[in-house]
Amino acid sequence: MKKKIYSISLNLVLILLGIITVYPFVWMLSSSFKQNKEIMALEQHLLPQAFIIKNYITMNERFDFMRFFGNSLFITIVVTILVVYTSTICGYVLSKYEFKGKNVLFGFVLSTMMIPWCVTIIPKYSMIQAFGWMDSYKALIIPAMFSGFGIFMMKQHISTLPNEILEAARSDGANEFYIFHKIVFPMARNGISSIAIFQFLWSWEDYLWPYLVINTKEKQLLSVGLKMFNGQYSTDYGALFAATTISIVPVLLIYLFFQKQFIAGIASSAVKG
Amino acid sequence: MFKKKHPLQSKSEILLRNIVVTAMIVFFLVFLIIPIGIAFVGSFHEWNPLSGTYRFLGMENYKEVFTSSLFGRSMINTLIFSVVVIIFRVGLGLGIAYAIYSPFIKYKSFFRAIYYMPIVTPMVAVAFVWKFMYNPQIGTINHLLGLNINWLMNPKTALLAVMIMTIWKDFGYAVVMYCAGLYSLPSDALEAAKVDGANGRQVFLHIILPLLKPMTLFVVITSIISYVQAYVQILIMTEGGPGTSTYLASYIIYDEAFVKYNFGYASALSFVLFVITAVFTWCSFRVSGSEE
Repeated sequence: MKKKIYSISLNLVLILLGIITVYPFVWMLSSSFKQNKEIMALEQHLLPQAFIIKNYITMNERFDFMRFFGNSLFITIVVTILVVYTSTICGYVLSKYEFKGKNVLFGFVLSTMMIPWCVTIIPKYSMIQAFGWMDSYKALIIPAMFSGFGIFMMKQHISTLPNEILEAARSDGANEFYIFHKIVFPMARNGISSIAIFQFLWSWEDYLWPYLVINTKEKQLLSVGLKMFNGQYSTDYGALFAATTISIVPVLLIYLFFQKQFIAGIASSAVKG
Repeated sequence: MFKKKHPLQSKSEILLRNIVVTAMIVFFLVFLIIPIGIAFVGSFHEWNPLSGTYRFLGMENYKEVFTSSLFGRSMINTLIFSVVVIIFRVGLGLGIAYAIYSPFIKYKSFFRAIYYMPIVTPMVAVAFVWKFMYNPQIGTINHLLGLNINWLMNPKTALLAVMIMTIWKDFGYAVVMYCAGLYSLPSDALEAAKVDGANGRQVFLHIILPLLKPMTLFVVITSIISYVQAYVQILIMTEGGPGTSTYLASYIIYDEAFVKYNFGYASALSFVLFVITAVFTWCSFRVSGSEE
């Protein structure tokens, strides 16, 4: 009996915390289908009394919001693919090859994760200006091509792959490029999927860097677009809720779809680190 | 286990190694080491890209950092913010993870998936949602709690409001970490304790908690590093105000660098902040190490 009460109350606490966690999303989603006068009404209801989709149309007509969405999707996918590739190949070289200075190099890669963004962002911004990369996607892609965190994770992951398979391929006369692309890359897919998910999120939510290096509105990314939109139409709450929903829901869907890999990936970053 | 014997390096191995190592060194040199050098030298200069000023100042910028009352205030805010958010993150994370781990909860992965949702959502968008929730006119928080507080405009509640939002966004990370820690505990230690007749509380306090210490250290250190760098929620929700009540250290750097374009002063602030973070990180290592 005591156990049962304990079990029920513990479940209730977790459900309550779950409701607190989900509530802001539900409120945002539901408000995005409300009319402005209902959003501002004194008496509030969680669900829209009059369900409208006008907010989504206004948001896009006034601000071309889906353009930001497309830009963000493009940049995020390109950067994620590049980071996955460079992390895997660096991880392979650092875990399976023996050479002088390897540990120094790896220690250096580890230390890059400790440097706060604020230390390097001003010189990076000046360098991008000097290179003439301002307002071009080069500025968003090239400085993001390697990731200290990605290299670290892939090195840990690839070092657990058995050497025998690599040796067998080598004695069959396969060269290292073949071994990496046809054997190591497919075998490292668990590590790759967690890096991909992390990198996707980080690129998707990045605010300051695109804000600094992209000047043309049409080329801008979602996070910056959302802030610009809020600055210009600060009273059209319905459209603001619609724009916010559009920036959140796709990532949430991706997460719910891949949550197993995601949670495993997060957890492994700590257990191995 | 298997000592790697690999005496004959093939041509392709040397080629691949050289390409990868060179690319890595060049990349980190250009986008990390050289920028750190430029920022360090710049922190001793009056450096404003708009007016084109670049003039040697010596230690002036650093003197200004340590005498600036705004920086002092922001360090206090950052300390309060980090300590409170980290305590709640660790407390909630450990408590919830232990509840999920216990035999009383049936739908374990369901709860984990729910709590993790805020982590994967973009900060800018989430900060806007919370800004609207705190809004006294349209917001849902006053309405739900039956209060009448202008959360983000009142100097007494603004920092608290931002902290609540940050706790909401980040506690799930600690839940997932502690779950991973709990499921990798050595089962023989737990079995032995049960055989010896230890009750649930004793097992938790004397066996599980000490075994989870590396995980706690990991969560605390990654939290310190990320909260010292936090600025997006401030930028969106309060812009440091009202007054200076929500200025966090990183937000000042953002403000000095990209609103006022004082690159030299902002660089000096960055290095001071970097050193402070490094010291705190080192201290948490020491504290956890000396207890053993």
